[in-house]
Amino acid sequence: MSDIAEMNLKDLAAAIRRRKVSSLEVTKALMARIDKWQPTLNAFARVEAEDALKSAKAADRALAAGKAKGPLHGVPLAHKDMYYSKGKLAECGSKIRKGWIAPTTATAVERLEAAGSFRLGAVNMVEFAYGPTGHNVHTGNVCNPWSPDSITGGSSSGSGSAVGARLIPAALGSDTGGSIRMPAHFCGVSGFKPTNGRVSRANCMPLSFTLDTVGPLARTAEDCAIILSIIAGPDPLDPTTALAPKWDAKAVKRPAKGLSIGIPKSFYVDDLEPDVAKAMDDAKAAFRKLGVKIVEVDLPDQVLVSAAAMIVLAVEAATYHAPWLRERPDDYGKQVRNRLQNGLAYSAVEYLEALRWRAHALQAHLAAIGKCDAVLAPVSRAVAPTIAETDVGGAGNAEAIIQGVTRFMRPINYLGLPALVVPAGFGQRGLPIGLQLIGRPFNDETVAALGIAFQSATDHHTKVPKLA
Amino acid sequence: MPNDVSPERIAALAAAARVPISEKGPERIARAVTPTVARYAAENIAIPLETEPSSFLVVQHKDAGR
Repeated sequence: MSDIAEMNLKDLAAAIRRRKVSSLEVTKALMARIDKWQPTLNAFARVEAEDALKSAKAADRALAAGKAKGPLHGVPLAHKDMYYSKGKLAECGSKIRKGWIAPTTATAVERLEAAGSFRLGAVNMVEFAYGPTGHNVHTGNVCNPWSPDSITGGSSSGSGSAVGARLIPAALGSDTGGSIRMPAHFCGVSGFKPTNGRVSRANCMPLSFTLDTVGPLARTAEDCAIILSIIAGPDPLDPTTALAPKWDAKAVKRPAKGLSIGIPKSFYVDDLEPDVAKAMDDAKAAFRKLGVKIVEVDLPDQVLVSAAAMIVLAVEAATYHAPWLRERPDDYGKQVRNRLQNGLAYSAVEYLEALRWRAHALQAHLAAIGKCDAVLAPVSRAVAPTIAETDVGGAGNAEAIIQGVTRFMRPINYLGLPALVVPAGFGQRGLPIGLQLIGRPFNDETVAALGIAFQSATDHHTKVPKLA
Repeated sequence: MPNDVSPERIAALAAAARVPISEKGPERIARAVTPTVARYAAENIAIPLETEPSSFLVVQHKDAGR
């Protein structure tokens, strides 16, 4: 058997279920790898070794007694430190919530645990999930496993870094403005932002009630689909999921042949670094070989859609944080406080106009893509910049670099579309490149099918970073 | 800088929200939000009268059932 820590979620769960490896062996192997990598990456907020070992032993005993809980029986996972687990810390990468014990458990976590997984600890994140790089003045910056002086992307920085370094097989992240997709791209893993309304956000730290989504980062598109098959669906605690369709496992297995992908004529293909442009060309060729029809699409003005997203996000984030902005402003990191205060600048009419336009913006997007099943686009124009050059307190043009690397994110959140990031190559300094497959509303399964097909024809997702 | 994101207006909005900001805060915020506000305002989007925020769900689910 290959190195346990390097196994993907699907194979690991199968190996445990068939008792080729015990949950205890898996947990110890991951903990050994965390010990080795953590000083370099700072991916984990905390490892709960004693509880995890107890859970692993219990999982092995249950399996020996023929009582497997579900498809993830005995699999240790660790999620972004904003997913509540009753009785456990959930500090949200902040000083304000330092020492805060969650009184409830997130629905997504509850469902993963009902499927047999258990908690190995929690992974670091950007303060209150409000930042695109992975910098954090309270908990320290999380580093990229492919090059520790480079950013992981944020805000699910620890999820990207830990999955990329093979410290855990999968982790939940959250995506309000690219926070799953950017770490997936920068850290060389797969990441799935589901359709808004598909996965419950109950008992997770909120940032924007309109734009927040809960989704996985994992080694493969298939692993992401496994996680989504467990966590997707209606939840009475999150009314936005009331109409969510049941996950269709059969649709995930549909052949890619005959599906169609749109390639944007502008915006997403403008000013790309040559390595990213090449990854796009290679991906198009791979999809054509799989029998996927490739067509050009002329999307509506994405800068305008981004502006609307920015207004909605800024106002809702400022609203959630208003009590702490009034009473504890000095307990925020300066950059996060600045971003939150920006939300004070918009009037109620501006905010509600941005919300009301959303239906029409989605209609225009769907009209532009015609019958396409997905749109293929880069996640970012470049590979991960360094931590130093994106430190807004340091380098002079940090804001411009950050704007450049994040510009392909927000339209997708505003339109509420599903988007899967798949590793698609490597660029400067050996850093990974990811591309996003942007689907139609509630067509997450088709996006997964395309990602799985792509990974059956490519091997970028199998590459593993080495610790220097 | 357009009038609708003037530091004076931002100072007034922050005061109305009862959020304290530093003396230089309104100036900084105005610089940060001007591109977004200006871009969105320039389009002068005509939204049909009957549209409300939840109209988004109607479009989203209509496409899902296509």
